[in-house]
Amino acid sequence: MRGERHVVCRASELAPGERRIVRLGGRSIGVFNVGGSFYALHNGCPHKGGALCEGPICGTTVDASFGYGRDGEIVRCAWHGWEFDIATGVAIADPAVRARTYPVVVEDGQVMVVVPGTTRARGVRR
Amino acid sequence: MIDCDVHNSWHSAEVLLPYLPPAFREYLQRGELPGPRGSFPHAHRPWLHPEGFMRYDAVPASGAAAGSEYELLREQVLDRYDVDYAILTGDEAIEASTLANPYYANALTSAYNDWLVQEWLPADPRLKGSLVVAPQDPHGAAAEIRRMGDHDDIVQVLMSSGSQRPYGDPFFHPIWEAAAELDLPIAVHLGGQGGLNANPIGCGPTTFFWETHALLCETGMAHLASTIAHGVFERWPNARLILVECGVAWVPPILWRLDEDYRALRKETPWLRRLPSEYAHEHIRMTTQPLEQPRSPEALWPALDDIGARDMLMFASDYPHWDFEDPRFLRLPESWREPVLDGNARDVYGLPARDRVSEGAGR
Repeated sequence: MRGERHVVCRASELAPGERRIVRLGGRSIGVFNVGGSFYALHNGCPHKGGALCEGPICGTTVDASFGYGRDGEIVRCAWHGWEFDIATGVAIADPAVRARTYPVVVEDGQVMVVVPGTTRARGVRR
Repeated sequence: MIDCDVHNSWHSAEVLLPYLPPAFREYLQRGELPGPRGSFPHAHRPWLHPEGFMRYDAVPASGAAAGSEYELLREQVLDRYDVDYAILTGDEAIEASTLANPYYANALTSAYNDWLVQEWLPADPRLKGSLVVAPQDPHGAAAEIRRMGDHDDIVQVLMSSGSQRPYGDPFFHPIWEAAAELDLPIAVHLGGQGGLNANPIGCGPTTFFWETHALLCETGMAHLASTIAHGVFERWPNARLILVECGVAWVPPILWRLDEDYRALRKETPWLRRLPSEYAHEHIRMTTQPLEQPRSPEALWPALDDIGARDMLMFASDYPHWDFEDPRFLRLPESWREPVLDGNARDVYGLPARDRVSEGAGR
């Protein structure tokens, strides 16, 4: 994976259902533990730049009878409430919209996020 | 060319008497009416047109009401513009939606439909009919659709845009169900703004007729949003909504707004699987008249193009009303002419292609 690895925390310090907002390589990034797997999303919403990673971690309605599912797999942007799949960054209502994701590596009990070098373009990418 | 809004009228609503059951025949003969003998029972909107509704040159030589005689309608619409099909939308019949008594409203709309099928549609193969229903009684309306909807020359169901609530509401689903069963689009025409339909416009009645007429789009907005949001087009994949005389320039911004808010609060309507604008492009059509007139005529098209309105607009003249539109004076981008004047309506109504018509096979 290209880019620089940044240690976020020990895996044991980020329990399932939890998140951390960290600043890495000049970017605000949300790191999530969803059921034991770690994911990182850019904390800037592709919609209007809101604090995407700081909204509720939740599920959503998954069928026409208001069945509720995917609990813990979705983050709603803190500003306007768009729902994103934490694992893929895909917007639930419009898969053409994606939040930027970063690779996460867990090695020797450390959670590390791979962030492209600072010479590369920053900011929101759709 | 297809004209999607031609008003076939009567000189007196008493033409319906032979088609009314005896109990309601008395209502029309001896009961209270909103005007002189022969006026059609309905509650009136709070705005009175200061000139009446009709093109003065559309009054027949006999002095009968404009739109009430086939021969003049033929001369002024069908022959003058080489119209392949004119979709008849009645005149006052949709105003039955304003009556609190659903039994009377049903009897009147059924009588109108029988009169239409008996006395108008046989006059000319170019005439196609709209089945008028009384939406205040969804089950009665559904029964009427099942009674008459398979007539060869009926091409849509028609209701007024004034209504008790927006038409996507589950209250109206029996009507959508029946229309889907008969594979008929549902057209919603400006009107029905009074009586039972107590909220004909955004925040209560406006004052003047022209002021109100310019806001005629408000009800169209509510029906468009409601049918999409309530999942009418998921539940009945062949359902189509045709907004008649509700304006068109407002549609792009409303769809943009709906898409935006749906993306945030999708969870409220989990039956939806696509963006509101995608449902609209496939299932909703708008007739052109009265087409908005920007200061720069070309300003109308970029926003409409953004939502794919080339596939959604259908020409209408609104003959013989005062805001009639002449197709020869319609400024359309060249590549929009064929779909808007002809192709889109042919698709939505399942009418045969023009070459077949000229060979006499269309009917």
